[in-house]
Amino acid sequence: MTNGRPFKLEAALKIHLLMVDDEPDFKEIIQKRLSRMGIQLSLADCCVAALETLESQPVDVIIMDVSMPGIDGIQCLKKVKEQWPQIEVIILTGHASVKSGIEGMQGGAFDYCLKPIDVLELLEKVELAAQKALVNKENAKA
Amino acid sequence: MKRIFDYIGRLLGISFIPTLSTEELQHLFKTKYRCFRELLTANNNALEAMAELETALRDGRTFSMSFIRSKSTMVTVNIFKMIQNLRKMADGGYVNLEKSFGRIQEQIDAIIDKEITEIEGDWFIPINRVNRSQVEQTGEKMANLGEAGTLFGINIPPGFAVTSSASRLFYLENNLYPGINRIFQQTDPHDIEDMHKKSEEVQQLIINSPLPKELERQLYKQFDQLLEMTDADIKVAVRSSALGEDLGRASFAGLYHTELNVDRDQLILAYKTVLASKYSTRAMTYRLTKGYRHEDIVMCAGCLVMVNATISGICYSRSIGGRIGTLDIFFAHGSAKGIVDGTKTTNHYTLEQNVPHRIVEKLRDPNDPHPPLTDEQAVALAEISMKLEHHFGSPQDIEWSIDPAGKIYVLQSRPISVHLFNAETNGNMIFQDDRLILQGGVSGCNGAGSGPVFIVRTNADMNQFPKKAVLVVEHPLPEWAPLLKRAAALVAETGSEAGHLATISREFGLPALLSLDQATQTLINGETVTVDATNRAVYRGCIDELLEQNDKRPNPMDGSPVQQILIDVLKLITPLNLTDPASPYFRAALCETMHDLTRFCHEKSVIEMFGFGKRYHFDEGAAKRLVDNMPLEWWVINLADGFSPDFDSTSRFINVTEVISTPMIAIWQGMHAYTWEGPPSVSIRGMGAIFFQSTMNPGLEPAVASAMTTKNYFLVSRNYCNLSVRLGYHYAMIEAFISSLRTERYVTFRFKGGAADESRRVGRIELLAEILSRFDFRVELTGDALNARVEKRAQNFLFGRLKVLGYLIIHTRQIDMVMADPQQYQRYRTKFIQEIEEMLSND
Repeated sequence: MTNGRPFKLEAALKIHLLMVDDEPDFKEIIQKRLSRMGIQLSLADCCVAALETLESQPVDVIIMDVSMPGIDGIQCLKKVKEQWPQIEVIILTGHASVKSGIEGMQGGAFDYCLKPIDVLELLEKVELAAQKALVNKENAKA
Repeated sequence: MKRIFDYIGRLLGISFIPTLSTEELQHLFKTKYRCFRELLTANNNALEAMAELETALRDGRTFSMSFIRSKSTMVTVNIFKMIQNLRKMADGGYVNLEKSFGRIQEQIDAIIDKEITEIEGDWFIPINRVNRSQVEQTGEKMANLGEAGTLFGINIPPGFAVTSSASRLFYLENNLYPGINRIFQQTDPHDIEDMHKKSEEVQQLIINSPLPKELERQLYKQFDQLLEMTDADIKVAVRSSALGEDLGRASFAGLYHTELNVDRDQLILAYKTVLASKYSTRAMTYRLTKGYRHEDIVMCAGCLVMVNATISGICYSRSIGGRIGTLDIFFAHGSAKGIVDGTKTTNHYTLEQNVPHRIVEKLRDPNDPHPPLTDEQAVALAEISMKLEHHFGSPQDIEWSIDPAGKIYVLQSRPISVHLFNAETNGNMIFQDDRLILQGGVSGCNGAGSGPVFIVRTNADMNQFPKKAVLVVEHPLPEWAPLLKRAAALVAETGSEAGHLATISREFGLPALLSLDQATQTLINGETVTVDATNRAVYRGCIDELLEQNDKRPNPMDGSPVQQILIDVLKLITPLNLTDPASPYFRAALCETMHDLTRFCHEKSVIEMFGFGKRYHFDEGAAKRLVDNMPLEWWVINLADGFSPDFDSTSRFINVTEVISTPMIAIWQGMHAYTWEGPPSVSIRGMGAIFFQSTMNPGLEPAVASAMTTKNYFLVSRNYCNLSVRLGYHYAMIEAFISSLRTERYVTFRFKGGAADESRRVGRIELLAEILSRFDFRVELTGDALNARVEKRAQNFLFGRLKVLGYLIIHTRQIDMVMADPQQYQRYRTKFIQEIEEMLSND
């Protein structure tokens, strides 16, 4: 999909990102790449940990895996959107299914990414979600 | 002003509202513009995923279910986003879109997630009570064998089938499916090393799971009953018999495990090993290539008493080497394993299909010390072969053994998946010069292939096998099957046409030269060679002349279940029924496909966006006329940040230098790169045709009078431009979004109509299509409508494409009058291509 062409991250550098996934290897890879790009990033292993993070610090964009032990990604997404509607969520899934994709979008996800992740594609989606999250923030102020 | 209030009233859900501040209104506009952008990006992504699905089908590529799933999901998710954004822009309107979307999405789900129906039944069926009607329980091979056994004069070994009900019970009791699915979801099917690893993991998982107690008890009981029926000291062969294969199209030859000489103690392990072989690397890559879903294949098994074989072999009831009216018998001493594995050198007899089955040719292996098949036995095998062909209604591939008493047993009968390969020219064309490295052997599949030699001896070698290399092996074992799809040719030192790997190479159309002595010693890794299987020779270097003989390789997925799923899904995705926005049928409720939904949403989003500008931000004085010397009116509407901050917004006119919309500037540059040479000189007949059409074509009324003088609008922002042009009688639209984010970027072009009759119009459209394809657009033609797209490329590249469109919009005006004249067509073609290339090279 991607051809390695660089693009400018702007909004993504101004936001706080939270990544929720139970796979440590995957999280580490993404964390390294995103931190190197200058994105401020927190990590959580599960939905409960994610909600705790949200209570204690402001988050603008979340990257969240659909299949997690305990509360799954779709349920977690709904919980997040109920309490913090201004947060934009990108859903990740290892097994594409038309239904889960639509469920995520209906639950208010900003976008949907398939594993294995194309990092460049994810970064672009993060940038777009960040742009929207910043507008949401402005709107909330107004 | 009233309209503004109306609009805002709608937005806020009240009928009377106070005046909003400029900031508040700008803010509303911003929100809408964001929805518009998101919609455009989603539109772009949906169309791209659709194109990938279509291309996969059209180009005969190998694709998996997960490809279909992920691309269909991409399409639906993005269309869902489009609908959401359009409804936000339209203040909750277009309710029917969601209904149409839900309906189509459900239909797609039903096709993709269709599950096979499970039949509950006995765990075991004695083979002499099995026939074709029990295929759902026994799998293909055992059903065929049982059926063969019902025929007079055909013997099959005693035994029993272990049914699909038994294997399902085993899987369910051990809860195996979720674990297996989890492992394969993380596997790259194109990475053989990864496949080997995961395949091993899954097979171990199956083998280590216990058989349900009752199933185990009854399996032993079946075995003991066989003992009672026959000698006290019997051994069985545990053979695979998969359910869900279509043996007429795909042989599945040698992909699964057969355990020979199994005694009572080894029975359970042998059964589980056969079940596990569903997940062997070679079986999985084969299914992927041939278009079968793993979940549709259920493994059944057969336990058959071992025949103490003195001689065994394979019969093809119709010669596969191109001879007409003959059948082939391949045989060797002992069991047939060495023949199908390609490790034994085989003898080959050819007989007439008609009685009395005269023996046409005997090819004996001079080194075989064993007594050959007698003529009587050969004729008896021919009779059996023809009987099976008549009974099953198609040429058969039959495995058989003869016991010491001379009794013939049929062990398997299946349709020949690839009937013929023409061996007529065998050995006729040999270059007897220093390029010739090796000569001889037998052709397993005709054709020629060229590439660097790669000798494979181990699994580790397999992982290193480069694409388009010549696969060289000692024995053509079925385990090398995963490499066939990526090889340019196959060379083996042993084997015959009757081997499993030869069968699969024919299915893939891969040139295969077998029984070629000294191949692994003579051929050197990395050296480029040309393998001419048809004429049985190997040469140094690449000889194009030989490669020309190749027919197009068959598409291994043709007619497969996975291909059928894609065809069915695409029927709900790609056809475009809503083509004309002016038609009364252009309605949300009438969308029948995902493409209809994208078209509808896109069309309406432009109207919503434009409507907003009209209603408020750009009321009256919103459109600015471009100062230009062209004899046409060009107007620009600023959607957001498309004009220079220094521009005086009260002015009615704007200079192009005051526009900062980068896509618009590119189009404008293309429009002005060369002066339009004016309309072509037309014969009276040509002009007459235009006028005639104008009066006949109701689609042109009442536009005819105004069409010539219509204003053409650019809708712009810094990164976006939409240009609608009605030049004369045709309609064209360019749309582009070029931001710093690659995923958002696209350029599209639509073109429709024209006043001339169909042939002239189509002439121009064909010319446009040809030029656009030449300059990297993806072009779609339907009648006199053209859609062209290019996306996700570098910014400068896309600006270049916009220049091409700008150029074409100006220079293809009115040329349909002369499109019926081939000379004129050529002249324009040459001129356009030359000028565009020159224009782009100046960048």
